[in-house]
Amino acid sequence: MKLTVENGCFGYKKGEELLKNVSLEAESGELVAILGPNGAGKTTMLRCMMGFLKWRSGRSAIDGTDIRQIPARKLWKTVAYVPQAKNASSAFTAGEMVLLGRSGRLNAFAQPKQEDVEKADEVMERLGILKLKEKKCSEISGGELQMVLIARALASQPQIMILDEPESNLDFKNQLIVLETLSGLAAEGMICLFNTHYPAHALQRAGKSFLLCKDGTSFFGPTREIVTEETIRMAFGVNAVIGDVETPGNILRSVLPVSLIGESDASPVSRNGEVSRIAAMTVLVRDYRMAEKVNGLLHEHAGLVIGRMGMPYRRGEETVHIINLALDGSEREIYALSDAVGLLPGVSVKTTF
Amino acid sequence: MKRVRLQGRLSTGWCVGLIVLPVVTAFLAIGIGRIWISPGEIVSSLRGLIREIETVSAQTNMVLWKIRLPRILLAALCGAGLSAAGCSYQSLFANPLATPDTLGVASGASFGAALGILMGLGLGGIQLTSLLFGITAVALTWLAGAGKAGSGKGMNTIVLSGIMIGSLFSALVSLVKFTADTESELPAITYWLMGSLDSANFKSLSLGAPPILIGIVVLMLLRWRLNLLPLSDDEARASGVNIRALRGVVILCATMMTASCVSMCGQVGWVGLLVPHICRMKFGNNHLSLLPASVSLGAVFMILVDTLARSVSSVEIPVSILTAIIGAPFFILLMRKSGGWSL
Repeated sequence: MKLTVENGCFGYKKGEELLKNVSLEAESGELVAILGPNGAGKTTMLRCMMGFLKWRSGRSAIDGTDIRQIPARKLWKTVAYVPQAKNASSAFTAGEMVLLGRSGRLNAFAQPKQEDVEKADEVMERLGILKLKEKKCSEISGGELQMVLIARALASQPQIMILDEPESNLDFKNQLIVLETLSGLAAEGMICLFNTHYPAHALQRAGKSFLLCKDGTSFFGPTREIVTEETIRMAFGVNAVIGDVETPGNILRSVLPVSLIGESDASPVSRNGEVSRIAAMTVLVRDYRMAEKVNGLLHEHAGLVIGRMGMPYRRGEETVHIINLALDGSEREIYALSDAVGLLPGVSVKTTF
Repeated sequence: MKRVRLQGRLSTGWCVGLIVLPVVTAFLAIGIGRIWISPGEIVSSLRGLIREIETVSAQTNMVLWKIRLPRILLAALCGAGLSAAGCSYQSLFANPLATPDTLGVASGASFGAALGILMGLGLGGIQLTSLLFGITAVALTWLAGAGKAGSGKGMNTIVLSGIMIGSLFSALVSLVKFTADTESELPAITYWLMGSLDSANFKSLSLGAPPILIGIVVLMLLRWRLNLLPLSDDEARASGVNIRALRGVVILCATMMTASCVSMCGQVGWVGLLVPHICRMKFGNNHLSLLPASVSLGAVFMILVDTLARSVSSVEIPVSILTAIIGAPFFILLMRKSGGWSL
């Protein structure tokens, strides 16, 4: 499955364009971040993409079919939308809310059947919110409400999920729970698109990113190439430093905003991505199901790999697969592979040049 | 495998209770009035009616089945219809203050009735003009408010234009009152506006009952789907359900029911606000149980109020006065006890 936006233009007022010629592409299994400062039009972009607003020109399409030509009932079986939690109604209990996700699959006069109720429970169980079932949405925390909304979207068994700022307004723990859930869903083959104003979340989670600037221009491509110190300066108007943070489990790329533009105009150190380098990469796979995915990715980038050694290692109950690689290629290509592998849940990567 | 219960479905006990309660209330209420008829007499009269033999006096039969039965049926229908309409409007506009009159239907119907009285029409004529203007008012509201469709703020615009159209028709009612003859027409209009069920007969019921019944049946069939109404616009559309059609059907049903109620018994306030809220406190916001409860308890409430209205004093008290006098304190009591609710 493939979701595309082709040269979309949109503006609320006549003669004023908020979105200029935006294009993006997402395939099954990809997590795509839509980045931009407040007011750049991220939510507008999502609303246009799903057909809530009409593109002035251009279109959005699923597998080549314009979404305006897909009947609503069919479209919303494929696509699910998770609104910002602050816009969600809170009249119902969490269980009732999740069950509403099934309504597109029911006839007008029908009531939910046993299988619908079971499906809703199954999704809640999976996201770990089954204990909230009888609680009112107005009485649970923001993080829990966000998970309830994600569960509602999942209850319709979609292949594409579009989320509007799912992790803003949440504390660290809940942010991680939400992002972890998205990574997991993408790894299972779903297309996940989410809006965010945290570039770090895009760097750590999303394989591809779409960056929207206030003046309506946009960039789209692999996250590593799109989220750079230079583009952040352009889009957000701040000088930022991007660096790796080494943790016991993984290496995370992070963004640290340093100062507003104008206070210090030090020119950014641009990374020359085309230099050819030799690198050693170590991959630790704790989740057996991901081992196959890692192999697939390595296979796709076989041109880079000059040496490879893999071994399973049993440590008590746990089996860890260790893959050591020697790579030869441009810095950009090596980073891209390293990122793609590192984005899989339960997989840690370390690359040294 | 363990069966998972559908949340919000009424338990069997409640289900039976909600059906039996209005019937029992009606049975007791039919005996109460200026002439007291004991339950035993009612049963034997009923038996006589079925076997076509004379068991009680002709006068008792007359009072029971020609005078009180239509009145109790009317009360039950109006109570059920108004609270179902109020319940669905509160969800539709996601506003706890919404009443069946939010889109101006009652004001329109009142104007129609006042106009009918001014023109000296009979009871049937007044009922017709009232029904007609009630529907006209909502149509005007819809035209005024839904012009800029798809702006996302649709529902608020419609509520606002409902308030405007409502006040427009209220002004027109005042105008009719102003021009009415102070000796005969003005008291008739004023009395009619206060609401009364004493004009009830099978003829007016045969015109007024079908719209109410159809409305209730359609809403009851749609009751699980009504849960989509309080959701925000984008959320509702993303459910894959044609939300505009759903809203249209709900407005149509509620308008038919309310206009028909007002055309038969005048402006009966409070029921459409009070009963759904009492039900929300007990059953939550899930329409799977909320709507049946509202319909049943609305009927019970209205039968009780009307029975009081016609039996408490020698002169009949207008129902809208009683609904407020009984309803408000009861409501406040419940609200304080349950600690409020949210929509």
